[in-house]
Amino acid sequence: MNKVITINLDGNAYQLEEGGYDALRAYLETAAARLQGNPDRDEILSDIERAIAEKFHALLASHKTVVVTKEAAAVLAEMGPIEADPGEAAAPGARGASGDGAAGEERAARSGGTPRRLYRIHEGAMIAGVCNGIAAYVNVDPTLVRLAFVVLTMLWGTGLLVYVMMAIVVPEARSPEEKAAASGDPSTAQEFIRRAKEGYYEAMKGFPDRKARREWKRRFKRDMRANADQWRQNWHCYWAEHAPFHPGMGYALPLLSLLHGGAKVLWICALISLLATGAVFGLGLPANVPVWVAALVLFIAYGIVACPLKVARHACYRGLGRPRWAWPVVFLLDAVVWLAVVAALLWLAVHYFPELREAVRSFPSLAHQAADDIRVWWNGK
Amino acid sequence: MMSVNEKFSAIRKGLLEFLLLQIIAAEKVYVADILKQLSATEFATQEGTLYPLLSKMRREGLLDYEWKESEAGPPRKYYELTAKGREQLRETLEYWGKINGTVKNLGQK
Repeated sequence: MNKVITINLDGNAYQLEEGGYDALRAYLETAAARLQGNPDRDEILSDIERAIAEKFHALLASHKTVVVTKEAAAVLAEMGPIEADPGEAAAPGARGASGDGAAGEERAARSGGTPRRLYRIHEGAMIAGVCNGIAAYVNVDPTLVRLAFVVLTMLWGTGLLVYVMMAIVVPEARSPEEKAAASGDPSTAQEFIRRAKEGYYEAMKGFPDRKARREWKRRFKRDMRANADQWRQNWHCYWAEHAPFHPGMGYALPLLSLLHGGAKVLWICALISLLATGAVFGLGLPANVPVWVAALVLFIAYGIVACPLKVARHACYRGLGRPRWAWPVVFLLDAVVWLAVVAALLWLAVHYFPELREAVRSFPSLAHQAADDIRVWWNGK
Repeated sequence: MMSVNEKFSAIRKGLLEFLLLQIIAAEKVYVADILKQLSATEFATQEGTLYPLLSKMRREGLLDYEWKESEAGPPRKYYELTAKGREQLRETLEYWGKINGTVKNLGQK
């Protein structure tokens, strides 16, 4: 069993065994030291990093995600020692000589460090430190995060709900280590920014024709999306693992399902009311906002409410732990309750609100009208 | 006594730049292509040598590169000669022809 270290080579993450990491680090440090004073030093180093990244890339596959020490050593041997003064005869076999490694140290530090985690931070907090913690995590001003929560709260109280959930679920940074981790080193958000700055713009300059640039842009976006998915996944797992649910709490699932179902029904009713009357539960839209924009906003608002509920349900499933036989039982119970709630609420809604009944009946023609709206807007652009 | 191979190590190194000009003149290539073409010859070399040399040649205005995306990892730099590079290649070829002639003809009776 070997310890694995994740490194960042030219904007991509690779996992290396510790021995391989040490060898790579020594190689890059030596390279940086030998290129001291070379006007192209940074460019050569990034060329070298990219070449190593390509070799690592070729070694990995979906079932093999870690570069082992032997492979890393083979890649470095293939790269060969950096020859500082090209054109001149270098002493043969001169390798491993390391001058002042300070510059290399700095580059290597970029890929190491403690992972950043989400904590609540009490210092300078307004309420429970949730916004403060998020601000530290994504490295933005806390005021911006607070503003976002205020805006979200105006959307049917979503922000408040999320805040309360996070105040309960997210742990508070108490020990110095936790405080360091709360605003600590590499986070994915920072990596986004670093990569955007360095890789993206530098590469953009190098493209001679528009087609190549577009192609690269497309690829870049795809990578970013994959990154964001990964981030979301980590976030979900993190919550699910660290939420203070203990075994047995799984039986709260039906309650969560009830809330989730309620949110869904509320969303559907709001949507129907919007389509039928042009207003959300009597709340009129501003004059120049088309109906489909309002529908989109409703959809996003629903997503924001439903997300923490989903996460909580995930956590509950995890909280069930053993015995495993309980899983299908709870799942079935959950599904039945959920379906029943949705059906009952829909039935009630349709029967007690004549305008809803009307809306359900006239929905097809309304959908057509919405499609026409979009077409008109699109053509008008 | 030094082997011929060792004796020529400095000369080979000096000629590498000339060979790079010749390889890059033929088509746009990236470093792995260059390494492959050289690997079967006496001039087999490694990335650690090539990147600093290519950077130096670019700084001198002999070549330029463009980015191309790759299915197998990060985007790649494809190198091509500038007008100055082509001129340099022409001059070097001419000079090389002279040296070759000298080596062949000197001492012949």
